[in-house]
Amino acid sequence: MSIDRWQQAVTALRSYWTALERDWQSVAVGVATVALTTVFGVQIPW
Amino acid sequence: MAVYRLLPGLLVLCLGAILARAIELTAGFNHLLVAIALGFVLANGLGIPSRLEPGLATHKLWLGAGIVLMGASLTLNTILEAGAVVLFVVVLVTGLTIALVELLSRNVFGLADRLGSLLAAGAGICGVSAVVAVAGAIRAREGQIAYAAATVLLFDAATIVVYPIVGDLLGLSDVVFGIWAGVSMFSTGPVVAVGFARSELAGQWATMTKLARNALIGVVVLGYASYYARTGEGARPSVRTLWDEFPKFVLGFLALVVLASAGVFSPAQRASIENAYSWLFVLAFVGLGTEIRLAGLRNTGLLPVIVVLLSLLVGSTLSLLLLALLF
Repeated sequence: MSIDRWQQAVTALRSYWTALERDWQSVAVGVATVALTTVFGVQIPW
Repeated sequence: MAVYRLLPGLLVLCLGAILARAIELTAGFNHLLVAIALGFVLANGLGIPSRLEPGLATHKLWLGAGIVLMGASLTLNTILEAGAVVLFVVVLVTGLTIALVELLSRNVFGLADRLGSLLAAGAGICGVSAVVAVAGAIRAREGQIAYAAATVLLFDAATIVVYPIVGDLLGLSDVVFGIWAGVSMFSTGPVVAVGFARSELAGQWATMTKLARNALIGVVVLGYASYYARTGEGARPSVRTLWDEFPKFVLGFLALVVLASAGVFSPAQRASIENAYSWLFVLAFVGLGTEIRLAGLRNTGLLPVIVVLLSLLVGSTLSLLLLALLF
C-alpha cells in the first residue's frame, strides 16, 4: 500500500473515531482489547 | 482533536498507573486508591500544565472501556441471581433520593427549583453526568450547573474515604458492600474504585448496581424535561431522550456477559481481559484523582451541601437496611 493510501486510511479512521460518542469509543476500546486477546492471542500481564 | 495533543496527558496517566501498581506490590497499598491519591496530589500539589489536560480528560473513556471488559468475567447467571432484588433496591433508593432532595431544597431550604433538580439528579443517578444531562433538559443557568457539580464532586471525594471505613466497621459482606456503594454513592468512578479496592467481588457488584442506576438517566431527564416544559421553561421532551442519554457502554458490557456465558473465552483469555480492565481502571483513577480540586470544592454553598448530605444519609441508611434484610 502506498504512503498516500496509508495516510488516507489513517485520516478516515481518525475522523470516524472523533465522530464516535465517548461511550461508543469505550466499546471500541473494549472490542479491540478482546480482539487482541482472542484473535491474536496477546497475553496482558498484571 | 489531534492525537499528539493527547499524548502528554496519556503518558502521565500511564506513568501514574504503573507507579500505583508498583506501590501496591512494594508497600501493599491498594493500587486504585493510590492511583486516585497520585492524581489528587498532581492536581492540588504540583498543578496541571494545560498541555496535560486533553490527555488526562480521557479518563472517563478508559473507565467505560474497563467496565465493558468487566463483562467478560461475569455470567448471566450471576446477574440474574440477584438482578431483580438489586433492581428493586436501585429504583426505590433512586426515587426516594430524588424526591427527598427536591422536597428539602424547595420546601425546607428554599433553594432555586432548578438548582434543587440538578442536585436531585446528581445525588439520585450518576453524579456530574446526570447534572449536565438534566441541566440541558431544564435549561439551568451555568452558575447553577457549576454549583451542583461542585457539590456532587465534594461528596464523591468524601465517600471514597468514608464508605470503605463504614463498610469495614459494619463488617459488611463483599456483595452487600458492593451493592450498597453502587446504589447510594454518586459518580461511577468512585463507586468502581471503592468496590474494587475492597475486593474483586465487591467491585463487580458495585459496578453492576451502578450501571443499573445509570440506565435510569434517560427516564429522569425525560421526566424533568416534561415537568419544566409545562411551565414553558424547559427543552421540548421526546422519547428519543431515553436513547440519547442511555450509557451505551452498558451494551458492550452486556454483549461480553453474553459471550462469557456462552463459554467463548478460554481461562487464559479471560485472565488477560481481566488484567486489561484492571489496567484501564488504574489509568482512569489517576485521571479521576486529578478532577478532585480543593479550590473547586470550596466553592460549594452550605445549603446545597446540607440538602445532599441529608439525602445521602437517608438513602444510604435505607439501602443498607434493605440489603441487610434481603441478603
